[in-house]
Amino acid sequence: MMVNESLVSVVDDDESVRESLPDLLREFGFAVQAFASAEEFLASNVVSQTKCLILDIAMPGMSGPDLQTELLRRRQEIPIVFITAHVDQNIRPSMLERGAVECLFKPFSDTSLLDAVNAALRVN
Amino acid sequence: MDELSHVVDALPGLVWTARPDGTVDFLNQRWCAYTGLSLEKGQGEGWQAAIHGEDLPEMLERWRSGFASSEPGEMEARLRRSDGTYRWFLISISPMRDAAGHIIRWLGVGTDIEDRKRAEEALRLRELNFRLIVDSIPAPVAVTTPEGEVEGVNQPTLDYFGKTLDELKSWKSSDAVHPDDLPQTIAAQRKAHELGRPYNVESRHRRADGVYRWFNVLGLPLRDTDGRILRWFHLQIDIDDRKRAEGLLASEKQLLEMVAGGRSQPRVLEALCQHVEATAAGCYCSVVLVDPTGTHLENGAAPSLPASFITSIIGRPVNAGSGPCGMASYLNEQVIAADLTTERRWEEWCPMALAYGLRACWSTPITSAAGKVLGAFALYYDTPRAPTPLHQSLIERFTHIARIVIENAQNDAALKSSEAFLAEVQHLSSTGSFRWNAVTGERTWSEEMYRIFEFDPAAPVSIEMMETRIHPEDLAAFRERGQRVRNVDADFEFEHRLLMPDGSIKYIRATCHPRRYDGTLVELFGTVHDVTQRRLAEEALDKVRSELAHVARVTTLGVLTGSIAHEVNQPLSGIVTNASTCLRMLAAEPPNVDGARETARRTIRDANRASDVITRLRALFAKKSAMSESLDLNEATREVVALSSDELQRNRVILREELADDLPLVTGDRIQLQQVILNLLRNASDAMSGVDDRPRELMIKTEREEDDRVRLTVQDAGMGFDAHATDKLFEAFYTTKSDGMGIGLSVSRSIIEGHSGRLWAVANDGPGATFAFSIPLVPAPRTSRSAAVRTAVRANPERSIGQP
Repeated sequence: MMVNESLVSVVDDDESVRESLPDLLREFGFAVQAFASAEEFLASNVVSQTKCLILDIAMPGMSGPDLQTELLRRRQEIPIVFITAHVDQNIRPSMLERGAVECLFKPFSDTSLLDAVNAALRVN
Repeated sequence: MDELSHVVDALPGLVWTARPDGTVDFLNQRWCAYTGLSLEKGQGEGWQAAIHGEDLPEMLERWRSGFASSEPGEMEARLRRSDGTYRWFLISISPMRDAAGHIIRWLGVGTDIEDRKRAEEALRLRELNFRLIVDSIPAPVAVTTPEGEVEGVNQPTLDYFGKTLDELKSWKSSDAVHPDDLPQTIAAQRKAHELGRPYNVESRHRRADGVYRWFNVLGLPLRDTDGRILRWFHLQIDIDDRKRAEGLLASEKQLLEMVAGGRSQPRVLEALCQHVEATAAGCYCSVVLVDPTGTHLENGAAPSLPASFITSIIGRPVNAGSGPCGMASYLNEQVIAADLTTERRWEEWCPMALAYGLRACWSTPITSAAGKVLGAFALYYDTPRAPTPLHQSLIERFTHIARIVIENAQNDAALKSSEAFLAEVQHLSSTGSFRWNAVTGERTWSEEMYRIFEFDPAAPVSIEMMETRIHPEDLAAFRERGQRVRNVDADFEFEHRLLMPDGSIKYIRATCHPRRYDGTLVELFGTVHDVTQRRLAEEALDKVRSELAHVARVTTLGVLTGSIAHEVNQPLSGIVTNASTCLRMLAAEPPNVDGARETARRTIRDANRASDVITRLRALFAKKSAMSESLDLNEATREVVALSSDELQRNRVILREELADDLPLVTGDRIQLQQVILNLLRNASDAMSGVDDRPRELMIKTEREEDDRVRLTVQDAGMGFDAHATDKLFEAFYTTKSDGMGIGLSVSRSIIEGHSGRLWAVANDGPGATFAFSIPLVPAPRTSRSAAVRTAVRANPERSIGQP
């Protein structure tokens, strides 16, 4: 893993997302770590190194927004790109309001993903 | 002397002279010519031969006394003419005197008065005859002078009036003629006297007993031969009976005209009393009615009795003790109280009547044709008296008229009440009735018909007017039916719309009945029912039903699509991401073929996952238990039946409900269960849509089962299904219907299973199929719906996800 590669962490309870998304992000040239739950991510040692967090909204246990709140509480200001399978147009504005860089609806295209990650990295 | 004799001979009468002793010494030529006696024969006593034997003695006597007294004298006597006939002469004698006053001669003159005498005699005879005739006439006759002074009256006149001739001479200032008739009688006589023409006048004359009776007085002049009026004869013909009959007839006619003219009962009864009072002098008349309950007296009419007296009678009970009218009504027989001062029958009533100055009361029941007592007709007098036969006949006639008046009023009231009832019922049911006379074209419409068509009830209705109300789209059909009614001899019904001036639409159901005579339509009558409200209600119900269905569908779909989208989007997301990665790996230099192969493999795997999601969606329904509430399956069933009844009727389905009385409440989702019931009912109804050779019977039944379960069964007589297809029935997209989706039974079974129940179907022994479900009163405990959904979708059932 190269030092200059920005670390992008993916937190999603869906296995297929955890399998497919890291591969695509690596193709874009990012370092990627995938976690099956928010709790797993918080317990890892990559929180502070993560430059962009791709975070599923609906998860069993701690949800995406819950993790966002927890990170703020820990003063870990990681730019977040939310992803969700629920097609509810009302979700995106509320997530952006809460400080998210972007909110993508599954399934999303590779370019929109890249745009979102790049935007997150610019925040840094 | 010769000179004198010449003079005497020339005089136009019969002249003679006599010496102072009466001896005739000269007779003039006319004397001799008349008598045919010569001077010689007539001298001395000879002249006496010419005097009528009956007159001679008186003449000789008169002559003697005349000569003795030396006074002139005259007498009438008959002289015989030469032909033997006698003629009357007026014979005068007077003395001739000398200067000393001594009588020297007597001069006699005879003047022929035969013609005058004959006229006088004729008149005398005539008068004699007339008097005889007058006296022999059995009716009163009076004779007056040409100036109208009473000269004489015959015996019947004296008997009738009970007055003397002298009293009758001053009839113009007495009460012999009724004061009301006196002026016109005098005027008629005066005019007759002036013109000399007979007169004819009707007047009331006072009989000896004080009763006035009507007479027709005929006045006839008696004239002499010269036409001069000598006397007037006044023939008095008693016309009282005729007059009374005429009066009664006129009264009856007038009263019956009032009845026919629709005058109110009180007004006619009042007039009746007035007629009676005018006919029977001195009486006061009243009519009281028996009230509808038959127990009390009501006011009829009593125009001449004090209102306070009548008021005290009104409300009295119909019984023997309450008074003459109460008693007459009670006994249904006439009650005569000839003298109230000695009356003992009505202790309370009598003193009151006496206080009003009444002394006699005769009350007669008024009885209907059917024998029911309608009221009482009473005559009161202020002097004691009993009814005469004349009174009784009067009472009989007027009681009869009163009966007609009252019965007519009652019939009228009954008719009006019946009409009002009909109008009320028509209004309540929004049903109008009509009648059309095909011969005259006349239309008769009920009030409600006018209201439905919104026409002015005062205006006669024409077909053109009606057509202005018919909805343009229905006009052709309306006209076609109008034509058909002329040819079809049967009742028929049809519905059409009215387009009202304000743009609103009315739905009309008309029922017509033609009446024919000799095959020709003579009359058409029927009813028109305004079914707008019902139609609007039906439409509103349909709308609510479809809205309800729509809402249910949308709600279900909304929840469903949300779940489906979420669950499908997950694998789709994997597919898109993997495919993108795959393309990028293949596009790299050099291409990462192994990586691409791996991502392509994962793409296929995710696609299979998406497919699995769809497959598992069916199981989703099996897992949801949704709203749980306590519900009465019978009630839920009735609601569904109510919602479907229209559709069932349209499909001519005969529905039989057998809902168990002892059905316990069940816990479940009312809407879902009703969807199942509705689905079963519709399937059953649809299954019978092609059935025409047997009744389309549909039975829906609920019953309690053992083990705290309830069962609902829907049995139809439709086309049924193949026994081997039973399992496929409940598979999604399996359908026997050409227009069906094939998901109803599948969904229904899912719902029932969601209630821990069972849905099954069996083919009937006869035609048709039976579908039934059985559910426990309380379903087995379940997880929440969303959890169930996710559990169904997830490949890994023990994992679940939280709410977004």
